[in-house]
Amino acid sequence: MADEVELEVETADEFLLTAVGNSQDRKAFSVLFQRYAKRIFAQGMKITRNEQLSNDLVQEAMLMIWQKAPLYDLDKGTAQTWIFTLVRNRCFDMLRKLKRQPEGISADDVFAETEQAMSIDPDAQQTAEIQVAELQEHYEKLPSAQREVINAIYVQDLTHQEAAEKLNIPLGTLKSRLRLALNKLRDSIQVET
Amino acid sequence: MNMTEKHPSKDYLRLHNEGLLSTGMTVAVSAHLEFCGQCRDESRSMVDDLARQWCADDVPASSMGDLAAGDVDSLLSQITSQLQETEEVVERYDQSGSGYELHMHERSVKLPGVLGKIASNGVVWRQLAGGISTAPLSLDREAQCDFMYMRPGSQVPNHKHQGTEITLVLDGNFFDEMGQYSPGDFILRDGSHIHTPQSDEGCLCYTVLDSPLRFTAGWSRLLNPLQSLMFNRGMR
Repeated sequence: MADEVELEVETADEFLLTAVGNSQDRKAFSVLFQRYAKRIFAQGMKITRNEQLSNDLVQEAMLMIWQKAPLYDLDKGTAQTWIFTLVRNRCFDMLRKLKRQPEGISADDVFAETEQAMSIDPDAQQTAEIQVAELQEHYEKLPSAQREVINAIYVQDLTHQEAAEKLNIPLGTLKSRLRLALNKLRDSIQVET
Repeated sequence: MNMTEKHPSKDYLRLHNEGLLSTGMTVAVSAHLEFCGQCRDESRSMVDDLARQWCADDVPASSMGDLAAGDVDSLLSQITSQLQETEEVVERYDQSGSGYELHMHERSVKLPGVLGKIASNGVVWRQLAGGISTAPLSLDREAQCDFMYMRPGSQVPNHKHQGTEITLVLDGNFFDEMGQYSPGDFILRDGSHIHTPQSDEGCLCYTVLDSPLRFTAGWSRLLNPLQSLMFNRGMR
């Protein structure tokens, strides 16, 4: 079971991002690059219809993912949302630059509320220092019902609704188990740090 | 007055979250979100949905031209040799607790974060007839963005819009033929509306006038003195 989880953990974007953020894991980053670079390029083409600019966007966005990965906290939301908003913000700034819009504000100002709302957790910075290995260790200690939920949401990347259906439990139960599990993980990590 | 008319429509919210709205408009939506918890919640779950959708969409096979494996390797090693950020430095005007305050005439108003950032670049008020003042903002070449202040008891002359106009109430209140508005209200008007805004107690708004045909607007400035007064101060 432990081995299986470890393999699956490798495949979830959340764990890859955490590995990049906490241990500068280049292999994890290269997997993220494989998964997202083309998507980001396509987004650039959609907006600019210019290959060079779209390549620039890929480089800039992937660089920011690398640089900001330590700030990612899985409690704040999915890796997909985190990467989507990061790319969206770079696109917004790129479009403004293309249109020669006045300087003085950037996407980070315009979308600050969303980002702030996503980071209301005051423990965010501490959480960012977790090692993936530690996280796995604490995960193993969770009651199996909570482990199932974490596994469904963060490893298999199911939505809350899908996970509830798969595990055959009510949505409310799923959410409360998820909350309990995340709190427990956070607590156990804080005790150590 | 229908509730939804004081909030951005779903389409506006989606375009905002996709980063595709013009800067002036997207600032209005962003500032509205600081006022309105309901739209904020909707916006958050919309971003999750958009992200999921984005990741589920097929990517064209020809993407990224012919970036060779060697190029990717060298790009990766270039990126991963950069230092990472360990702390988020958020420069926001309302994080110090006091926020950015806009001072004009007899009133000081604490602004939503994004407008505070814009106002911090400097605001120059121009006094117009009838107790109306405006401060053009250098923000968006494709839309006319202003702070507009109505003194207590003032009235904006009867006017009609050329494009789409968004008004976000920041402080005080005003009313027109279609309703009464208070802080946080997001009001969208198009060319079909003729209105006469009035304020009893005074009102500060952020207004955006989207004029996609700037040349037409330029000509109509010659044709229509009122429009020149109201809507085409433009970028400097």
